[in-house]
Amino acid sequence: MSEKEKKKGGFFSAVKEFVYGVAAHDSARFAMKTRASMEHLFILITMGDMLGVPILPPYYSLRLLPYVVPQISTWKRRMLREKDLTDALA
Amino acid sequence: MNSVIVLILGFAVAFLGYRLYAKYVDTKIMKSDPKRVTPAKMYMDGVEFMPTSKNILFGYQFKSIAGAAPVIGPIIAIQWGWLPALIWILAGTFFIGWVQDYSSAMIAMRKDGASLGGLSHKLISPRARIILLAFLYFYLLLIAGAFGNVVVSTATGLKSAPMAWLFMTIGGILAGQMIYRWRKDIILTTVITVVIALFGIWLGSVLPSDRIIGDTLANSRWLWTILAFLFCYFAAVLPIWRFALPINYVASYIVFLGLFFGIIGIFILHPNITLPAYTGFTIKIGPIWPIMFVTIACGAISGWHSLVSSSGTARQLENELDARPVGAGVMFVEMMLAVFALVIAGTIYASSAEYGAAIVKGPGGVFAAGVSKFLGALGLPANTGRAYGSVMMIVLAITIMQLVIRFMRIATSELLGDISPVFKNAHVGTIIASLLGILLVVTGWWQYLWVLFGGANQLMASLALMLVTAYLMSEGKPVAYAFYPMIFMFVTTIAALLYTSYNLLNKVISGAVKGEALIGNALMGVVGIFLVIAALILAMEGIKAFNRYRALRIQTAPAKA
Repeated sequence: MSEKEKKKGGFFSAVKEFVYGVAAHDSARFAMKTRASMEHLFILITMGDMLGVPILPPYYSLRLLPYVVPQISTWKRRMLREKDLTDALA
Repeated sequence: MNSVIVLILGFAVAFLGYRLYAKYVDTKIMKSDPKRVTPAKMYMDGVEFMPTSKNILFGYQFKSIAGAAPVIGPIIAIQWGWLPALIWILAGTFFIGWVQDYSSAMIAMRKDGASLGGLSHKLISPRARIILLAFLYFYLLLIAGAFGNVVVSTATGLKSAPMAWLFMTIGGILAGQMIYRWRKDIILTTVITVVIALFGIWLGSVLPSDRIIGDTLANSRWLWTILAFLFCYFAAVLPIWRFALPINYVASYIVFLGLFFGIIGIFILHPNITLPAYTGFTIKIGPIWPIMFVTIACGAISGWHSLVSSSGTARQLENELDARPVGAGVMFVEMMLAVFALVIAGTIYASSAEYGAAIVKGPGGVFAAGVSKFLGALGLPANTGRAYGSVMMIVLAITIMQLVIRFMRIATSELLGDISPVFKNAHVGTIIASLLGILLVVTGWWQYLWVLFGGANQLMASLALMLVTAYLMSEGKPVAYAFYPMIFMFVTTIAALLYTSYNLLNKVISGAVKGEALIGNALMGVVGIFLVIAALILAMEGIKAFNRYRALRIQTAPAKA
């Protein structure tokens, strides 16, 4: 690909990203936030077993644990981060 | 002067500001470092902290900050003459506007992605955060009132607007359903829903509201106020993907297309500015200083931007070098939006009297007439162009309004939830926010409401600059570029709020107003005074923090030597 073509592609991709940013980025972020809230709830339910406190029947919890483990570090960070009203704005 | 010269002047200021001043601050004072790990990378959670391309963030930041204010502010401010308005738009953005947007993002990024509340807690004091949050609630109430007034005056003044607004809503709801429920292709969804919105604009131009519901209802401020807040109510209580987001999605295309073709229309027609360059120091709403400065609002500087920059953008910047194009660059684009609005207001009327007759009905009519003229240069019929302009105005105002009501609902729950659990109910919080907003819209005179909103908005900006100054002092960096703008904005906005609140309350006390106007004046005056008191307390906390940082530097200086 020539330098000119690269530049042309770069320009169009920048325009594409800008339009995405204007129109859809916010929607994508809110969709992710909703998903994250659901995952946190999920972790909260299964976390009991991990700590040795049976909340749900252990069989189901153990089946769910593999899905939860990769999310634990993110979950901890989000739970422990200080939040206030201004977080809700953006 | 020819309008194209004004636009070129705007581009020149944007170019110089971005390439010279912003670059100097970015490289010499903030010393942005591409190797420094940003919170987006450090705390990546795939949700709020997420490294994102600067082009996407450019669009995101623009969409988040470009509401109705940069358009309406210049349209109102041209009452003092186009020259002072233009000078303040250009100088305000060059020296203050971008400084606030960019620096808020930078300090939030350097402080682990903290929001403005968290930053005031860390940099000023714990009390500062509580006062800031209370300040924010009333600031947002003024946004809801001022923008609500714009929506209502546009819906009553331009009878083609309600139909276009209705179809935009239908298109938006359908977009949400198609994307999230039916999993349809995004391009197909976009084409269908944008065509529905465009059809509504055309239908509005041939079937205005007074022909459908009659003159009385079409002109009823109560009806359109209630409908506007009902719209915001749904946006606040329904899942965000079902109502607010998809409507904003469809609306963004309508606004973007209107702006793009409108600017082309200006270049094709290149009309001369017909309104006077300067009309006088004092007009009906007040003197040029401080009132014009706050009336321009987001076109020069806005506190809203610091909220978006810190809570939203700073957590997504993947590289410190991206803060300048996103934080500063978008502010210069917003400045061009304000210049565009100024050109619209300055060129479409033959005389001040003609403009004066149009502006008393609200800024929506002026904007729609301008959009109609410039889209007309591309062949769009005048009626359809006016409907297009009117729905652009409504969309620009109501997208921010619905966000504000949603936020006020959360704020009610946080601030009053401990007093009684009833305030934690989503419907209760939304109804309280909506009722306060309705009261302001129905009882307040829109120009005073706009000035109060502008004052609160720029006061918020000066508080953000105070945080920037505190950060710079804590790091031992030069503070002048943020400190002097902070002082100027603080004095200007406090003066504007006091002047307007005094006028409003004076009319209440002297018995010059009665009925609805009495309630409106009293409410606006009290809110204005509250904001001034809160800002003064914050300033005192800020001074204490500055002294603390100065003492710390004096203590550490000999050790370094």
